Amino acid sequence: MSTPKAEKDLHLPLSRVKTIMKSSPDVEAVGAEPLYLVTKVTELFVTDLAKRAFKNSKTSFLEYKHIAEVVQEDDTLDFLREIMPRKITVRQFKAIMAKKAAKSGGSDESSEESSEEESSEESSSNNEQD
Amino acid sequence: MAEKLEDLNLPMTVVTRIVKEALPEGVSISKEARTGLAKAASVFVLYVTSAATNIVKNKKRKALTGQDVLDAMRDIEFDRFVDPLAESLEQYKLMVSAKKASSGKKKDEGDDVEMIEDD
Repeated sequence: MSTPKAEKDLHLPLSRVKTIMKSSPDVEAVGAEPLYLVTKVTELFVTDLAKRAFKNSKTSFLEYKHIAEVVQEDDTLDFLREIMPRKITVRQFKAIMAKKAAKSGGSDESSEESSEEESSEESSSNNEQD
Repeated sequence: MAEKLEDLNLPMTVVTRIVKEALPEGVSISKEARTGLAKAASVFVLYVTSAATNIVKNKKRKALTGQDVLDAMRDIEFDRFVDPLAESLEQYKLMVSAKKASSGKKKDEGDDVEMIEDD
């Protein structure tokens, strides 16, 4: 039995990280050292993101919107914006669409995705203005 | 290797464990938040990988090194991870050489440590 060596201090499965890395078109082989570091830094990243998101929570409950907020506010997290849109309420979504229609059906692209699940009104509603 | 789509996602249970360790005790995390964090982590892996590969390409090399991963952190403006990561790299190198010294010629297949812990 070979004990996994230096990886003991890691949580994430190296094999999975490797698979993901290899799914990148330019990557053929992944050496042990870069694999270790990518895994490590991903753990640092998750820790960091969770801590920052938790600061947005006023209770001891971490919710999606707290994470989305961090993502939307930090430009280095731009790469996550598409997968973590800020949620808005249906009402807000309709208001935005109405505003757009009023603006001569202009050609601005919609950057927010609507989701019907979030029911609590968020105070930061007007992030859609251009 | 990646036959199924799920193979391109990091296991949520493990990501959640990391998050729980990062937060004070007693904090609960919504299902959506868990999914979101796991997704973010998976995308991050690719993001870092492509940043590191760019460096390799620009230097006209083939193989990705640990240093490339470190340099990639600066490129994508995650400088705050550079120091802790550099430290990890040092530790890693120490461990590898210690391992080599102790286990003599036990072949290490480095790359392919199977460590699946999907719970």
